[in-house]
Amino acid sequence: MADDVKILVVDDEPIIIRSCETVLKSEGFNVEGVLGGKEAILRMEQTSYDLVFTDLKMPEVDGITLIRWIKQKRPDTGIVIITGYPSQDTIKDALEVGIIDYVPKPFTPAVLLDVTQRAVEWIRRKAPVEKKEKEGEFPPSMLQEIDRVITQYKNKPGSSIPVLQRCQQIVGYLPPEIQKHIAKGLNLTPAQVHSVVSFYSFFTMKPRGDHNIRICLGTACYVKRVEESLNKIKEELKIDVGDVTQDKKFSLETVRCLGACGLAPVMVIDEETYGAVNPKKVMEIIEGYA
Amino acid sequence: MEKYRANLLMCAGTGCVASGTPKVRDALKAELEKRGLADEIKIVLTGCNGFCAEGPVMLVYPEEIFYQKLTVEDIPTLVEEHFLKGRPYEKLMFKDVEKKHAIPLMNDIPFFKHQVLRVLRNKGLIDPDSLDEYIARDGYLAAAKALKEMTPQDIIKTIKDSGLRGRGGAGFPTGLKWEFASKSQADQKYMLCNGDEGDPGAFMDRSVMESDPHSVIEGMIIGAKAIGASKGVIYVRAEYPLAVQRLQRAIDMCNESGLLGENILDSGFTFDLEIYLGAGAFVCGEETALMRSIEGQRGMPRPRPPFPAHKGLWDKPSVLNNVETLAQIAPTILNGAEWYRALGTEKSAGTKVFAITGDIKNVGLVEVPMGIPLRTIIYDIGGGINKKKKKFKSVQMGGPSGGCIPEQLLDIPVTYEDVVKTGAIMGSGGMVVMDEDTCMVSTAKFFLEFTADESCGKCTPCRVGTKVMLDMLTDITEGRGKDGDIETLEDLSRDIIGTSLCGLGQTAPNPVLSTIRYFRHEYESHIKDHWCQAGICSKLCSFHIVEELCKGCGACLRGCPQQAVVGEKKKPHRIIQELCIQCRTCYDACKFGSIEIKPAIRQEKTALAAKDEGGK
Repeated sequence: MADDVKILVVDDEPIIIRSCETVLKSEGFNVEGVLGGKEAILRMEQTSYDLVFTDLKMPEVDGITLIRWIKQKRPDTGIVIITGYPSQDTIKDALEVGIIDYVPKPFTPAVLLDVTQRAVEWIRRKAPVEKKEKEGEFPPSMLQEIDRVITQYKNKPGSSIPVLQRCQQIVGYLPPEIQKHIAKGLNLTPAQVHSVVSFYSFFTMKPRGDHNIRICLGTACYVKRVEESLNKIKEELKIDVGDVTQDKKFSLETVRCLGACGLAPVMVIDEETYGAVNPKKVMEIIEGYA
Repeated sequence: MEKYRANLLMCAGTGCVASGTPKVRDALKAELEKRGLADEIKIVLTGCNGFCAEGPVMLVYPEEIFYQKLTVEDIPTLVEEHFLKGRPYEKLMFKDVEKKHAIPLMNDIPFFKHQVLRVLRNKGLIDPDSLDEYIARDGYLAAAKALKEMTPQDIIKTIKDSGLRGRGGAGFPTGLKWEFASKSQADQKYMLCNGDEGDPGAFMDRSVMESDPHSVIEGMIIGAKAIGASKGVIYVRAEYPLAVQRLQRAIDMCNESGLLGENILDSGFTFDLEIYLGAGAFVCGEETALMRSIEGQRGMPRPRPPFPAHKGLWDKPSVLNNVETLAQIAPTILNGAEWYRALGTEKSAGTKVFAITGDIKNVGLVEVPMGIPLRTIIYDIGGGINKKKKKFKSVQMGGPSGGCIPEQLLDIPVTYEDVVKTGAIMGSGGMVVMDEDTCMVSTAKFFLEFTADESCGKCTPCRVGTKVMLDMLTDITEGRGKDGDIETLEDLSRDIIGTSLCGLGQTAPNPVLSTIRYFRHEYESHIKDHWCQAGICSKLCSFHIVEELCKGCGACLRGCPQQAVVGEKKKPHRIIQELCIQCRTCYDACKFGSIEIKPAIRQEKTALAAKDEGGK
């Protein structure tokens, strides 16, 4: 699992690069090292990395400059800082430009590994979501469609749920911008709209994958050990419930009983229902969608 | 109307559709055309037949021959044999388990034989998208009678006398509910239908809405007249797209033909009906929460009184009835209270639909008179446990609000009162059968996970209490249980039941209490011996091969993902405990019952764990 994670270590002290390499390579990570910010930028123009570990104080191009560059040019890359001066200000600067975590110098192998593991989890979880929200822009046709829905329901009391349902159909999910837009249209506060979105499991604030996999967790499915199939999917697609795969092909959700207990255990992909599934069968079916 | 020499009623319920009805229908249609039979034989897609496990199923009229597990490959032979040569095709018929002979007629099949269909009177018989077919089965006759010949008081009296009780769970008398609302004075009242079927393991409401949507609408029209409501809402789960689609089509047809809207059937009575899609919250099955949800807010319950009969939706008098309840209204109005009471018991009149699922042979929906023994439902209709060598352990009734009923209580009559005495509840009628391979502590944990997750968070006992109980159950299933945990769980349960605001919290501890009541020894063995005897809690069991029983067939060896099983062919195998991850694959694979489940091997585990940590 670790060997598909590419890490770049940037530090002007060779010893730090060497020790990072020793520790992380033994855990199967793909590690490279460079001695300064300038080299790092040159290297990153050629190839991309999942994670960058960087020192802050370096001659020529310093850490903060490097982080700003990465944020702009390589926004998918996760950043961890290694610093001998974890003072309030430097951390604050780094946090402002956006980092995952920091490793204080000197560090033990356990600390480095721990931070790395967490950073890897973080990028796996965060990568597809953050990008979309950052884009923050929705095609005007989409907004027009949303406005049509709002106009249609505007004068009907209690219409927030149907409006949100329709808008989720249009956009695929309900990011904060869309919620604000709807609130304005329906003459509600954003908090009122968000209180509804966060209450009902039907609504999601994360975009779904091209194919949405839903696993039934009803009693009949439970008794027939649907959990084994669910775990298999999580393992194979490397995602947790509620997440989207990195290539955005699949998202995984669980539901409370689809009322098709005769077919237990049940999996639904998009609108298609599959019955009597087991760990082997679910992966075969999912591969058919890949 | 054209006449056909045969009608093929193919089930197009969610279950059968997923099992392949659309493909089989296309193949059948093509084959009939190829053989020049398309003008003589008609294919009708019906709602759920109920016998979901055997899908796709088809009933051939007029002979009433029942075919099951249809496949595209079987279609040419079926058409040739049955429709050209006139010889019903045995291969696709239901087979008697012991005698192994085919049972051609639907009503001879044990699954159907014991059933009495009232709610499901039209299941698998009519095309749910056809108003004509519903009317041909006496549809809207009761609505006409109620609107034109009866006063609200007459209707309420009939329903009260019939003894009909709400089928959503609590069993409150429907007539009484209607009476309260009819006496409330207001400029606007609402008739509501609860189609937010939430109990996992129950799917009768989905089935009724899908196979006979008009029966729900007719019940609502009659109820609206009784309480004086001019507006109605059907609240349906968004997870039931087929039900939503069919209900919407049914409502549209009624609007077009004057069965809904203004001045229905020239009676001067007006009733507008619309569908509201739920957005997935179990607590919205509670009436005050459901009404809040229709108002477009978070579906949180509020204290009662005031009851919805006085202050409900938009603070107006409202009645909320369950789908199954409403589907019983029309025949009761038509045939009278006595007819209704003729089945069932004094306090639990009529019939009830049950969804039988889990480790049982005949999975599906059944409707039986109340008061028949639980054993009849599970063994005669359900056909008993689906795996030959496994024993029955328990049947879960009432979903997350219910409890587990053990073998020794299977002879109780199924009525509201008798089921409650066992610690379970009738609920909406889900029956999940579990065999001996089920761990009851994990089962209780499963339900607590559900309620803890679905608790709306408004009141503390439910929000925090369920979480605390869940944590304790998780500890027990993972080997961190302590002496006294069982008693603490019991205490907590009593507090949560006594102090929660709504039905969700008041019943949430039931699965725990009932499993402690009947399977206390399992809790004890989890806590004291670190032993999950069913081999479900992976931290509390170890798998061993009994050498005397092992035939050396290699099934376990091939299946093991860890290569933890070793042994030569035809000689007893062995499991290397250090490699085993307790995944049960070998246990399920073994046909000779030679795998034994023993308590967890603790010392070695600890040593391994220590080594693991040292490595880091």
